[in-house]
Amino acid sequence: MENKLVSPNPHVHAKSSTSSLMWDVIIALAPAMVVSILWYGWSALMLLALGAGFCVLLEWTITKWMMRKPSVACLPAAALTGLLLALNMPPSTPWWTVLIGAIVAIGVAKMSFGGMGQNVFNPAITGRVFLLVSFPQQLTNWEIPRGFIGGGLDAVSGSTLLSQVKLEGAGSVADLDIFRTFLLNPGGSMGEISGLALLIGFVYLLCRKVVKPWIPLSIFLTVALVSGIFHLCNPEAYTGPLFNLVAGGLILGACFMATDYVTSPMSDWGGVVFGVGLGFIVMMIRYFGSYPEGVSFAILLMNMTVPLIDRAFHRKKYGYGRA
Amino acid sequence: MSKYTFPIGGIHPNDAKFSKGCAIEVLPIPPVVYVSMAQHLGAPAVPCVAAGDKVKVGTVIGEPAGFISAYIHSPVSGTVKSVGPRKDLAGNNVTHVEITVEGDEWEDGIDLTPDIVKEIPSDRAAVLDKIKKCGVVGLGGATFPAHVKLNPSPDTKADCILINGAECEPYLTSDHRIMIERPEEIVIGAAIMQMVLGGCRCVIAIEDNKPEAIASMKGAVAKLGYRNMEVLTLKKKYPQGGEKQLIDAVLRRQVGSGALPISVGAVVQNVATALAVYEAVQKNRPLITNTMTITGDKLPVSEQHNYLFRIGVPFSFIAEQAGGVPEYAAKIVSGGPMMGKAIANMDATTVKGTSSLLYLSKESTKRKEEGLCIRCARCAESCPMGLEPFLINRVYKAGDLAGMEKASAQDCIECGCCQYSCPANIPLVDNIRMAKGQVMAEIKKRRSNGK
Repeated sequence: MENKLVSPNPHVHAKSSTSSLMWDVIIALAPAMVVSILWYGWSALMLLALGAGFCVLLEWTITKWMMRKPSVACLPAAALTGLLLALNMPPSTPWWTVLIGAIVAIGVAKMSFGGMGQNVFNPAITGRVFLLVSFPQQLTNWEIPRGFIGGGLDAVSGSTLLSQVKLEGAGSVADLDIFRTFLLNPGGSMGEISGLALLIGFVYLLCRKVVKPWIPLSIFLTVALVSGIFHLCNPEAYTGPLFNLVAGGLILGACFMATDYVTSPMSDWGGVVFGVGLGFIVMMIRYFGSYPEGVSFAILLMNMTVPLIDRAFHRKKYGYGRA
Repeated sequence: MSKYTFPIGGIHPNDAKFSKGCAIEVLPIPPVVYVSMAQHLGAPAVPCVAAGDKVKVGTVIGEPAGFISAYIHSPVSGTVKSVGPRKDLAGNNVTHVEITVEGDEWEDGIDLTPDIVKEIPSDRAAVLDKIKKCGVVGLGGATFPAHVKLNPSPDTKADCILINGAECEPYLTSDHRIMIERPEEIVIGAAIMQMVLGGCRCVIAIEDNKPEAIASMKGAVAKLGYRNMEVLTLKKKYPQGGEKQLIDAVLRRQVGSGALPISVGAVVQNVATALAVYEAVQKNRPLITNTMTITGDKLPVSEQHNYLFRIGVPFSFIAEQAGGVPEYAAKIVSGGPMMGKAIANMDATTVKGTSSLLYLSKESTKRKEEGLCIRCARCAESCPMGLEPFLINRVYKAGDLAGMEKASAQDCIECGCCQYSCPANIPLVDNIRMAKGQVMAEIKKRRSNGK
């Protein structure tokens, strides 16, 4: 009878682990990463590698040497933060901004709150917003570097669709081919290059039951509804729903950043409230803010409401009456 | 595909019913048996024999020590060698009666013929008394004395008895086998309980991963033709065999917190209990045998068994009969992998409610390092009681007793779904069990203070 394990039930466990879930999200980002590497070339590859590398190094170093309790480093989670951080930057950003972003994301937004699962704000978004307000020039340098295929449009400078709207008005994008933009839209942050690639990854996450669709769905519906109403009232001043769905970082933010377990509500209905608020803030910033794009700010603002939302929505318990 | 299942939470582990094709074999009798006096929920029985007494199979050796307690009978014939404390499977001291086996002589009046007795008696009190005298307890896991459950207080009325053939625990196949091999006896047992409860509706509920058992039970119900009885197919989901979940699955009723199933007009009994009731009432045979599965995640099917065992047989003897404890076994469990008990002592013996010897490999059972909660909400989504395990875990760690009660730690059924699903390997059930204990003690204290 020696050497036998004795512990209370349950005696078996599901196969999924925190690491496997994080790997699933990284796999889901693969289509978007492949498209941006093909289109933006070496600089995209370098930024992604640096982002993941820095974040893993920081997470490991901090958990090993600086945290006071023994704490467990989850390296796939750190890598994911790094990849998302890089995908949220223009392909021509200098390499050192990624390092600073990683320090803010892992060091400030995640580890100073207590590490895995304890942070209030999405680390990657915090890193990006810090860079955006600190280094606006580098973060809005929309030059397109030479890619491996297609690219070729050397140094097409210019602006993103949303900043074009801010400068020249809604009419300047009235003739835009929305479907083409959804398929391929170079000229923004790296991860925004293809809505289709992002959605393919998101469908993978849904099939693997890693996330539920409620948060992205409620964001998309709110954005469509709010912009639909404004657009109907005054099409000259306000861009329409389809444009707002495919432009900027909405798909990336809704599918991969707003669905972060740690910084989103735990209940389905809480997720809907979170998504509706997020979509509304995005549209308010896009229409009335001084920044052309508002997905990052909207996510940070809604992250703050999560503890309150979680207080409001609880599961229906068995045996306390069916409502 | 059946649409019947419980609506809240639940999980879909691999059902691993490797031994479902192994016909029931009769386990040999060891030279000495040790019969525990604590084989049921409630007060342990009081031994009524002393060293040197001669006993036959079926002789009463333990008498009930309270309202919720049960008779215990000798499973063998021979001489009582000693009465005293002995360690059970968890290593706790429990009074056991040690009997040296001599031959296999049964008490008079026990019908050992294979004939099936179909006439249902109509004297309710006599039937209840027989069930009590034969020591029948619920064999679905809780071992609650059957005569108590079948005799609800007069201000309540049962309108449905559910015969539980869900067998939702992975690996276990003993209920599956008795439904295939002894369907008519189970159906007659169910009809007897139906009569005792005043002729209410009777539903025999079986999960859809057991089509052979469903066909066999449907055949028996059709052949015997009792009124108001049906076989219902349930969509497979763990923990469907939980009393509260089964009632919700079949009747769409929820038992209130702290209440009994009878409060919503339901009584649940396992298929093995129905068989025990049949044997007690129709054959005058006390509950001294049950069926158990010998299985494991790496055990070749040729070495797996379903045994008809007698109570009081050491697990070590059973393991030997079945070919020895396999090399790979890192943990030996009695019961299913979700709710069974790890065996700390192979010299412990079988009891009425024993359902398996399960050999789990290190890969399948070793707990992984505990990580930090990432708020994925899988624990809450899997909880069949609609609780939020992450919340109970948090308030328990903070020592917040009021918070534990508000989060309903007392309603936890310890099914293990949350801990099974947790990607961070947090020992949720361990902590919630502790929280539940604290809250229950507090509720009891409040009640005794007359509040």
